Formats: sequence, structure tokens, C-alpha cells
Amino acid sequence: MAVRTKIDPFEAEIIRESLVAVAEEMFVSLQRTSQSTIIYEVLDFACGITDHKAQLIAQTNGVTAFAGILTFTVQSVLDKFGLKQIREGDIFATNDPYTGGGTHLSDVAMVMPLFYKGELLAFAANKAHWTEVGGKDAGSWTTDATEVFQEGLQLPCVRLYVDHKPLPSVVDIIRANVRTPEMSLGDMYAQAAGLRMADRRFTELCAKHGVEQVQAGVDYLLTQGERQVRLDLAKLPKGVFEAEDFIDDDGLTPDPIPIRVKVTISDDEFVADFTGSGPQARGPVNCTRTGLMGGMRTIFKALTNPDTPVNEGGFRPLKVICPEGNIFSAVRPAPVSTYWETLLNSVDLVWKALAPHMPERMTAGHFLSVCGLILAGNHADTGDLVIMVEPQAGGWGAGVDKDGESGLVCIGDGETYIIPAEVCEQKYGIVVDQYALNPVEAGAGEYRGGLGLVRDYRILGEEGMFLTATFGRAKFPPWGVAGGQAGSPNYIEVIRADGSPPNRFGKGARVHLRRGDIARLITGAGGGWGDPRKRSRERVLADVKEGYVSDRAALETYGQQP
Amino acid sequence: MRVRMATDIGGTFTDLVALDEESGKITLAKAASTPPEFHRGIADTIRKSGLDPRTVAFFVHGTTVVINALTERKGAPTALVTTRGFRDVLEITRANRPDMYNLRFQKQAAFVPRHLRFEVDERVGYKGDVIKALDEKSVRAVADEIRSQGVSAVAVCFLHSYANPSNEARCAEMLEELLPGVLVTPSHAITQEWREYERTSSAVLNSYVRPVASNYLDSLFQDLRKLEMSGSLNVMKSNGGMASFGFAKEQPIHMIESGPVGGVVGSLAIGLEIGERNLITLDIGGTTAKTSLIEGAEVKVTTEYRIEQDARRAGYPVKVPVVDIVEIGAGGGSIAWLDPIGTLRVGPRSAGAVPGPASYTQGGAEPTVTDANLLLGRINPSYFLGGEMPLSLEQARKATGKLAAKLGMPVDEVARGIIRLANANMVNAIKLVSVRKGHDPREYVLVAFGGGGPMHASALARELHIRKVIIPPAPGEFSAWGMLTTDYKQDFTRTTVLRATDETMGAVYRRYDELERDALLFFKHEGFDTANVVTARAADMRYAGQEHTVRVPVPDGQASLAEVTARFHERHESAFMFRLEGPVEFVNLHLTGLVRVPNPDLSAFAPTAARGTATKGRRTVDFDEDGIHEAALYERGRLALDEEVKGPAIVEEEASTTVIYPGQRGGLDRIGNLVIETGV
Repeated sequence: MAVRTKIDPFEAEIIRESLVAVAEEMFVSLQRTSQSTIIYEVLDFACGITDHKAQLIAQTNGVTAFAGILTFTVQSVLDKFGLKQIREGDIFATNDPYTGGGTHLSDVAMVMPLFYKGELLAFAANKAHWTEVGGKDAGSWTTDATEVFQEGLQLPCVRLYVDHKPLPSVVDIIRANVRTPEMSLGDMYAQAAGLRMADRRFTELCAKHGVEQVQAGVDYLLTQGERQVRLDLAKLPKGVFEAEDFIDDDGLTPDPIPIRVKVTISDDEFVADFTGSGPQARGPVNCTRTGLMGGMRTIFKALTNPDTPVNEGGFRPLKVICPEGNIFSAVRPAPVSTYWETLLNSVDLVWKALAPHMPERMTAGHFLSVCGLILAGNHADTGDLVIMVEPQAGGWGAGVDKDGESGLVCIGDGETYIIPAEVCEQKYGIVVDQYALNPVEAGAGEYRGGLGLVRDYRILGEEGMFLTATFGRAKFPPWGVAGGQAGSPNYIEVIRADGSPPNRFGKGARVHLRRGDIARLITGAGGGWGDPRKRSRERVLADVKEGYVSDRAALETYGQQP
Repeated sequence: MRVRMATDIGGTFTDLVALDEESGKITLAKAASTPPEFHRGIADTIRKSGLDPRTVAFFVHGTTVVINALTERKGAPTALVTTRGFRDVLEITRANRPDMYNLRFQKQAAFVPRHLRFEVDERVGYKGDVIKALDEKSVRAVADEIRSQGVSAVAVCFLHSYANPSNEARCAEMLEELLPGVLVTPSHAITQEWREYERTSSAVLNSYVRPVASNYLDSLFQDLRKLEMSGSLNVMKSNGGMASFGFAKEQPIHMIESGPVGGVVGSLAIGLEIGERNLITLDIGGTTAKTSLIEGAEVKVTTEYRIEQDARRAGYPVKVPVVDIVEIGAGGGSIAWLDPIGTLRVGPRSAGAVPGPASYTQGGAEPTVTDANLLLGRINPSYFLGGEMPLSLEQARKATGKLAAKLGMPVDEVARGIIRLANANMVNAIKLVSVRKGHDPREYVLVAFGGGGPMHASALARELHIRKVIIPPAPGEFSAWGMLTTDYKQDFTRTTVLRATDETMGAVYRRYDELERDALLFFKHEGFDTANVVTARAADMRYAGQEHTVRVPVPDGQASLAEVTARFHERHESAFMFRLEGPVEFVNLHLTGLVRVPNPDLSAFAPTAARGTATKGRRTVDFDEDGIHEAALYERGRLALDEEVKGPAIVEEEASTTVIYPGQRGGLDRIGNLVIETGV
């Protein structure tokens, strides 16, 4: 009979796969049972497992920006309660942006300790964007809040379940503070169900392999993750790389906010330093340290090893420096409800600093913004209050040997699905008049940027609807590389039925749209790569044939007579 | 006219199974597939079988011609016509990026380039109201442009055509008149579910393969008629049923998974015969393993199918009913390799048929699952494919040895590791169709077939706590065999978003009546007596506010709201571990129409051998965690009814090998299945 070695790499591998599968199963279950479009279509949520020290074992996320972020969520529970106060059957909830658990109040994280035979071995955690957590405006996030208190109900890392049962008083507080209690609590129950499923699977795993083997599997997985990332780090260019840019404004004043990064890559470290970026703002564009970490883990993953599942080991060489009170590391009570846009700027800065040096991994700048919007009001046919929350897709930058992609969600989103026009019309009682590629004269290059999109919403209801939106890069379009042109901006144009002049903006709060008004959502083209004059004639002519490039641009920008 | 014949085209071989219903004689035949003119391989196989085609009363065919035309981009130049403002939906897709951290992600190209996508003026609302009538002038203008482009197929997809197809149907009709010789597919003919991108994609893919599929079926028809076969000619559809050649030419997209579903349907037939209604099927071939779940004798069918979808690619949606099969890259030819940090991995890359596993000695240098099985003594090197192809133990050892040296481990231990990892992959695939969907594998029987299924089934079953494994007769040709047990089947679905209340049930039942009329009309058109049509209803339901749905069977007649919603709550809880108090909605209503075909006599493989003639000695076999044993060897064809085979044992037959672990026991049942009790 074969004698089993103490650390059997095959069994360790099987345990690793099983742990990843637990996170995935939790993810699928939450997606299929949630009641918020932003969860089930946009997949703005993440599910994961950490060990008892909050080290991430496995995580599945629908959006990239949550990369490895559950580490900080679990750590905040450990910091507050300590191992002794954490009991079997507990579930904790947090959305606190400033203490590691949260990002903005809309993202509610839930954490459940996983015990086996009385011993705390691990944590299951998930985090999801609830469509409604209260606050001054429907949909909770807005572009003109000045304090976190306007942005919704705060759950400052509290015990939500005891002995596998929800605490009625906490549930009552949530119910009383949100506009759509059925939906928000529905999401809460769906998250809890996901955690309980993880608990069950984890117990089965321990029963089958034994606790010792499972722990050996976890150690193996973390070590393996670190070994992998060290190999990847060795392939990165070494040195200091810098980039600067601007955030459009804070939503309250028109002034751009300067941002900068210094990336230092050595043999064993990757350091991103945001010192010198502007101070935290009065409007809700502030990002806190947890959000920044999500951003940095996202771009670090993209640069090192985009292919393998995430775990704590894979992030060990990453260091982030950012002084407190900076736009990327805001402190209480700064408003943070559109933090994700600034998170994306942090990703984009590192990308911009490194793109010319890593063409095999990176493209020119893309439309960058989630282009998130809330459309709220009464359904034109049913009269029910409806709140649509959705992102948009836009143009991606060109690469050293490829054109940019047209109509893809931004780097902050991932396995995120744009809501079909047919579903929009039925659910929200509006008309979608067009959803189309938007060929504009921007992003030219030897390889050109991908096209942005145009999408029209026409309002039907007598009382109209209210639009809140934050389309970043409305003033500073995506950057080109190596002589490639900049892309085009993202913005919204409101076309009034009464013939009054249209207004155009990147950020807007509660813009009243009347019956017949059209909100035209326009997303940008990506940046180009290389001199447009070097673009091959065949490619220019093909673009003209497909209507991606106009005759005029073919001649004037590319120097090709169509 | 007494023979039923099934043919199944694979990448390498075309299989034939025929049953003479008078004599009960089974004929199996194999010939090389003949790409790209696959129909010739069928004629070859029929000739090789020695059967007289004039005796064939019934012919059913599983084909890869549709999926091949799609994946190899060998379809016809196709144009698309949409509602104004929406021609780019096909290219925009749903805009998701499955390969999330890849900054150089590339979207899959649209099947219709932008210059062949056209728009016309018309509009229907979500309630089915015509907001703007079809502007026929704009259709004529588009027809002129299409004519100048030389396309041979056109897809038409208008917004909300699932709710009211009149504008779309009129446009398609006009285009057919204005563009003689061009095949027109309106989206509502393919699917009446909402979501415009998915419906557009389905119509486009149908259009794209239509000329190819038509030509193929016409050629096959002529070949068969030349052979003087005059019986009924049918093709397998992805929903597990059959249809006529005529239907398949119009809607070839229904043949997209024409081949693999045969094994699932055959498993159900066997299950019903022996009184097992909960089955998990497992089909292991050279490149992939496919698994599906049958609950309460119900084959699971989904319309969430996408081609070319994986963890890195969004794929292309095809919203036709497809048997829910999970396919993973783990087969006999799957290659074992070390990733950059030295972890052993198995698949998804496969050595295929050429060069094949190292032991085939056709130039394969990398170790595969088959090589590992050989090293562990599970495969008999001199009885592979009935001895037609001797395997080289030495080559298997050499290939695996290279990995072993890198890992610093003995060769046998690496071989065990390869099997364990391959098994773990397959277990995960089975979990995807079972545990992940709320089904407990312990309540299921595993039916394993394909060349590799019998080799791995006992170990997988034990791991999943499945108590019984069934290896059907002739497991290598079982998919073709399964096709002989199929009925005529067509699914009708319509998106009907309605709150489930006592008031709305009337509307729901009216919609079912409409679907029923559609079904009767369909079968009448296909030439059946409508008195023979059987229907079954189901609904996709959800809690108000949710997006995703749970499929719930709906009884015939006018069942009460409470009865229908009770079933929904039950299914939701079983799948997701909770139920809610809130209101419930209908989203899609389904109706399946069936014309049953009497099952063939399943006793054709009944064991007839005398007891005690099957033993062939012993061989040293490594059973991994159960140790190394001198296993008893048996020849399957010589086992008698109920003759007990006690593990550790190996049961060999021409195209397959069954491994029975220590503590397990097996034997043939009255219809020739090898049944293994796994002892869990």
C-alpha cells in the first residue's frame, strides 16, 4: 500500500481547488437570489474565505475593484471583537468606510466565523452593493453630499446574527432607515444564506480531509501564491515610474484635483506612493484607504499574474504609501459615496506610469469611469417607485499591436452585464431610443482606441424622473501612448422636450427629467497607440468601410484617401 | 422495414448502432469521419455495417456540422436587420469582461460585421403594443443594400418581438420576397424570450449556419436515398428530442449539441427500464468529460447556452433549449503538466487522437490520463480497442518519468497523482450539475459511458457517496444507442412577466393554451397526428425584485395559484437554502410538446453466457488509496446474469475497461448493464 507523505501536494491541490469552489458557490448563490440589479446584473459584489488571521484564502468577485478587499473586512472584525468575542453562529455586518471594513456605505460586508468541532478556523465573508441604504437621496450615493451622514445608514462593524439568527433590533433599524426595505433586507438574507452555505461546505471539507490537512492545504496555497508572485515580480521592469493626472472636480466646485503616483519596483517590492496628490475634498469623490488597497491590488494583479485565483500570498510584495487626509485616503466624516471613481484614478495612474514600459500587459488609457447613474421615480405604467442603478460601457485603449476594444465595462467592473434595453423598458417604464457605437474623431493612432457608446433614455411618466450620475473623465479624456491621440470624454447630455437648450455634464445630482426629455449617455473612446500616420492603409480603409472612422478623419488624421 | 438505425458523427469516428426489431439483433459499426463532407462517413458506416438500407424504417442522426461551422467560422456571409438605433447591439454584446485582470482583453468578433448590419423604422413596446408600424419603405431600401452585398442569409431582430412578433414577421416576409434565394430568420422563430442581445445573437447564428446545414442535410438525404433508404429520416436536437430534416434545415441552430445529448437520453431510457429515476450521466471521451443530471426522470434543459464561453471569454448566446450538460477538459488524452511554480496540473490541453497519449507510440511525448491508467495496471496494454492497438508501457513510463524527475517523486506516485487530479476535476464537474444546483448526489445513480467513463466511475461515485454505478452495454457507442430511444420533441417558450396572483392566473393559462395551440400546429406541420401529441408545462419563476429564475413544473389544467407557488418556494429553497414571504412572479412560460416513439426492446444486450466463463486470470493493479492488489480480470461479454464480480477487479471489453475497487461488487443485470455497488 502506498504510504502517504505528510504534505501530499496532490491532496493540498485538491483542498485548494475545493476552497476556491466554496467561494465560487457562495458567489453564484448570491447572484441568483439577490433582488438588486446592481448585484445580479452588475455583479457588484465579492465572496471569499480567509483563514483565522484574515489572510485571504480564496475570493471570487464580479468586479475587479474588490480584488482581495475582503482581507480588510475580516481584519476589521478581528480588530474590533478579538477572537474571544467571536462565537459560532455569529454574523457581523459592516459598511464603515474608514476602518477597513467598508468602501462606501452602499457596500455592505457580512462576515461569518467558520468553526469546526468548536475551533475557529476561518472566516467566510461577502460584500455587496445594496441599491438602497438610506441617506439624503434615493439610491444613497450622490454627487453633492458633504458629510458621510448624508450618504446612508452606518453599520460600524456590528453583530447582526447570533446563534444563526438575525438580531431583530438591528434588522428593525435597517428596515426603518432604508427606502426599499424589502430589497435591502432581501439582499441581507441572500448574503447570509451564502455565508451559511460556505459554512456547510467548509465543515464538509474538514470532515473529509481532517483539520490538519485542510490547514496544510491553506498554508500550501498561501506559500504557492507568494512563490508565483515573486516569479512574476522578477519579470517586471525595475526602477521608478511616475505619472500625474487630474480628477475632474469634487462635484461641488469646478476645480480639478491634481493626483500623482510614484511607483518603485525592485527585486522584492512593488511600492505605490500617492504622496503629493490633492487633499480630501468637500464633495463625495473621496476614497478611503480600503478602496485604495482594492485599486492597488487590482492593478498589481493585472501586472503580475492576471490568470490565477487571488489569495493573500499573491499580494505580499505590494506596498502602498499614502498620507492620511489625502484624496485617496480620506478620514471621517468625509463624504465617500462615489469613492469608486477616485479608486479608478489610482489604478489608472499606475497604469499610465507603466504602460510604455509594459506593452505586453497594458494598453493606452481607457474611458476609465464606471459612468454610474441612478434614475429614480415612479414607473410610467405601474406607478411603483423604481430605482435604476447601472454602469455603462465605453472604449478601451489601443495596445502596441492591437486596436482598442469598443463597448466594454471599465477596469473597475468585470463580469458585469449591461442591462438589456428590453429589461430597462419593462422594469423602469422608460424608452431606450438607441444603444449604439459612437464613432468620434478621437483616439487615433497606429492602433486606434476602441469606440465609446451612446445610449438614450426617454422619460414617459407624467411626474418625470430624477437622474444622478457620475461620469468621470468628462474634462480629461483617456491618454494615448507613443504618439497615439487622446480618446474622448464621457458625459451626459439632457435633451429637453420643450426645446430649451440641452445641458451637458459629467456629474449631476437629482437632475429632474420631465416627460419626453432624453438623457443621452455618452461614453468615451480609448486612447491610441503610436503615430496615426503609421497606420496601415488596409486598416484605415476597413475602418471607413465599417463606419468606425469618417472619410475626413481617414484623410486628415491618417493621411489616407478613402 | 424493421431496423432502427442511429449514427453519431464524432471528430474521429462516425458510430452506427442499429437494432433489428424482429430478430433483436444489434449491429455496431465504426468508420473514419470524413471532414468536411461528413455525410460520406455516414454512407461508409452504413456500408461497413453490412445492413441492407432498404430494411431501415427509422433513421436518426447526431451531427457536429452546426457546431463545427460555427467554431471554424465556415458559415455563410450574413446580414442583420434591426430596429433603428440597435444594429450595434450585436457588437456591443453585454459588455462584460470575464477575463477581469487582463488589460489587453479582446472581445470576440461579431458574426456580422457592421457594414452588413442595417436598421429599419418600427417600434413595439414591452407590453407588445405597436408604437410605430413597420415602415415598409425602409425595408425596401435595406433590401436593396443587402442585395448589393451578396449575402446568402439574413437575420431579423426587432425590440420586444417576443411580446409581439408582427412587425418582425412582416419584415422577414418582405425580405424573403425581395431577396429570392436568401434565407431569412426572424428572431421570434428561434426564441420568444426577452433580452435583445441574446435573441439577436441566436437569430444571427441560425442564419449563419443555415446554408451550410441545408446543403449538408440535402447531400445526406440524397446519399441515403441512393442507398434506397426510404424510412423516416430524423436528426437529434440539443433538447434531447428529434425533428425532421425539414425542420432542421430551417432552424439548424437546434442541432448545436446534437451529438452529446444521445447519451443523456439513453441513460434516461435505461433508468426507466430498471426503475431508477434520479441519474447523473458521465461521458468521458478522449478530450473532455461531459456530465448531466436527470431528476425524477426529467432531463434538465436550459436556454442559457453559449458557444465559446469559458472563464476568459464571454461566448455567444444561443437561446434554444439545450440539455444542461457541463463539459470540462478532462479525458483520456488530457495532458499532465507542471505550471511555472511546479504544481502538477491535468488538462485541459489534450493529446487528442493524434498524436494521442505517449503509450500510443504515435509521437506523443507528454504523459496523459490514459498513460497513467496504463502505468497503474488499470488498462490492459494488449487489449486496447480489442487488441487492435497495442499500447507501450515503456513510452508511458518514459513520458511520466520526465514529470516525476522534476517533482522528485517516484513515477507510480505521479501516475496516482495524475489520476487523482483528473478525478478531482471530474468530481467538480459533477458537483456543478448536482450539489451546486441543490441536488444531493447520494440520491442519484451514476451512469458512465464513453471510452473512459467506466475506468473512472467507481472512484468518482465513491467520492460523491453515490451508491450505484451503471455501465451500459457498449459504452463506447452509447451516445448513438441513446438516440434510438428518443422522442419527437419541441419546446415553446414565451417571456410573460406577470405577478402571480389569483387574478393573473387566467392570463397565464390563456398563454399556456396559446402555446399548446402552437405545439399542435407545429406537429401537424411536421406530419403527425395531433392526437398523439403530449404536452408538459413549466414556468421560470422568481420572487418579485429578483432577476434570475427557478424552473418549476406546472401541472396541466388549471392548478391553483397556491399549488404552483408552493412548488416554486420548494425549488427555490432546495437550490438556495432559503425562501421569502414576498410576492412571486412568472417570467417565462414553457411548454414542451412530445410525440412519443416506442422504446426499442432494451433486452438486446441481455446476458446469455454461462456462469464461470468470464474470468481471465489476474493482474497487478494500483488502486491508489486502497493499495496495490492482484485484481481478478473478467471479459464482460462472457459474464452471466447476476454473476458476482468482487473488487478488486477489472472488467474488460473491446472499447472500454471497468475498474472495480476493493470492497465494491458488480454484475450484469437482465438488460446487460454492468451494475456496481460502491459500498458507500
